[in-house]
Amino acid sequence: MNAAIIFVLLLVLMLTGMPISISLGLTVLTFFFSFSNDPMTVVAQKLFTGIEKFEIMAIPFFILAGNFLTHGGVARRMINFATSMVGHWHGGLGLAGVMACALFAAVSGSSPATVVAIGSILLPAMVKQGFPKSFGAGVITTSGALGILIPPSIVMVMYSVSTSTSVGALFMAGIVPGLVMASLLGLTTWWKARKNDYPRMPKATWRVRLKAFRESVWGLLLIVVVMGGIYTGVFTPTEAAAMSAVYAFLIATFVYKDMGLKKVPKVLLDSANMSAMLLYIITNAMLFSFLLTSEQIPQIMADWIIGKGLGPIAFLLVVNVLLLVAGNFMEPSSIVLIMAPILFPVAMKLGINPVHFGILITVNMEVGMCHPPVGLNLYVASGVTKMGITELTVAVWPWLLTMLGFLILVTYWPALSLWLPKTLGML
Amino acid sequence: MLKALDHLEEWLITFLMGAATLVIFAAVLHRYASNIPYPAFQDWLLTINMSWAQELCIYMFVWMAKFGAAYGVRTGIHVGVDVLINRLSSKNRFKFVLFGLMAGAFFTGIIAVMGGGLVWHVREGGTTTEVLEWPQWIVYMAIPLGSGLMCFRFLQVAWNFVKTGQLPHHDHGHVEGIEDLKNEDLIPLALKDNLHPRNVRKGGEK
Repeated sequence: MNAAIIFVLLLVLMLTGMPISISLGLTVLTFFFSFSNDPMTVVAQKLFTGIEKFEIMAIPFFILAGNFLTHGGVARRMINFATSMVGHWHGGLGLAGVMACALFAAVSGSSPATVVAIGSILLPAMVKQGFPKSFGAGVITTSGALGILIPPSIVMVMYSVSTSTSVGALFMAGIVPGLVMASLLGLTTWWKARKNDYPRMPKATWRVRLKAFRESVWGLLLIVVVMGGIYTGVFTPTEAAAMSAVYAFLIATFVYKDMGLKKVPKVLLDSANMSAMLLYIITNAMLFSFLLTSEQIPQIMADWIIGKGLGPIAFLLVVNVLLLVAGNFMEPSSIVLIMAPILFPVAMKLGINPVHFGILITVNMEVGMCHPPVGLNLYVASGVTKMGITELTVAVWPWLLTMLGFLILVTYWPALSLWLPKTLGML
Repeated sequence: MLKALDHLEEWLITFLMGAATLVIFAAVLHRYASNIPYPAFQDWLLTINMSWAQELCIYMFVWMAKFGAAYGVRTGIHVGVDVLINRLSSKNRFKFVLFGLMAGAFFTGIIAVMGGGLVWHVREGGTTTEVLEWPQWIVYMAIPLGSGLMCFRFLQVAWNFVKTGQLPHHDHGHVEGIEDLKNEDLIPLALKDNLHPRNVRKGGEK
């Protein structure tokens, strides 16, 4: 009963269009005020202690690192490298677009920024070469989402915070699915391009490839700093994030020189703005999850679902559908923060591996960013391509189907995500 | 007066973001540098205690989060679910947006008051933080101050919205340095070696 009141209240408040963080907070306040005897000062204190964890602080650092490298110059280097490597195959610049998106998204950590950066450089070039606009738009919109699966990923940190799963293991587990997903998107591009005989680029010599690689490698080393540092135990994940922020700063100002020192305060301010917004959602989500736990709702729901005789297969199907629907209304961080505490206890009871569960949620979030009506990538891409949402939805279709197929693969084949962290002894 | 507050807010969160990064960077460097067996240098490093870095970083970021959230109201970065209200007539939409802003002001206002109570309560208790041993109540001041400022920002945005019908809007897809590249020709791909241009297939020339 209480569960019903809480969820209906949250849903109604959210649908009025107020910020998600505020609707979470108001739900908790209203409930405590009317139905509970717990002291209200707990709420204020939770707002502080909720985010008083060093693990959470990886988020602002990763955002800062990403913002230093979210620059047109970096995007261009990634495109150059990708084009020199795969541009001569079927799909040419389109295929290079998939690879460039994967590289840039991993470094910048933001899907919409990837769509804009790669899209506004690559799309005009593709159109000029004779690709239909919808083809390029489809490639960029979907490949831009790769960033949240390839480490470092903020969505994964969110999941780890709300379920106490190891960040290092999650990051490691994201690598293989990330590469497979990029290959599948590339394959779709290649197949469509071959069928329609789209233009290709001449094959680049190894000298050119090496030059392009040397230019882009500085940005890519960011991933190595983070993953290498965490894996070897040199840094904790949060320290790795801080080091990557310092590294990104050094690369952006002294190696790439895209950004003058004068721009640093602006980057810091923008990162602080973004991080504070996410931390504010986290605080209120922590408050909400405290309310759920104190009303024992996850337990009750877990027992209810298991009482229905739902096995792991049916449960994961329900989870995917639920998250895809949620993906229609909210952005990934909010979904993970609200849904993970509810779904996680059930998954544990059904014997699903916490890391595998995290990866499938992350892949689901990727799909959610690209499908109508409110995929954020779709909106940003519509701005870049000057195409309407309906038109774009049609354009995105082949790649979206590929992503959905991949989602099923990830959901029902745990070894795909668990093999690497297991081999490295992180699980 | 308001301008000064705006600048103070921006300056504070910019500083906290940068300083927290440097603190953790210094702590990590210190940890590894003090393992280098270079006698005098090592002894000197070992006299420095950096165990407070983690706690300081947490507090800096919590403060940044509270004041940054207020700044975020001003920049319109706090997003909600707007699919439903965007389908309403503009008159009804106006009501819902205003309701959302007032709800924000209401929530943050209550939290500011409750946070004030908490600070008072903790001050009576006289507890200090674990490592730095700062008075806990000063650290907790972030809640009433940040939330109070946030409440003020919500009211400010609501006032502007009623007067002009404008809402601050955050552009999630903003990327620096794109404008310079947009008009450049990509095909030579900056590899000025005459190896890259031209299309090899039909459909290229238009």
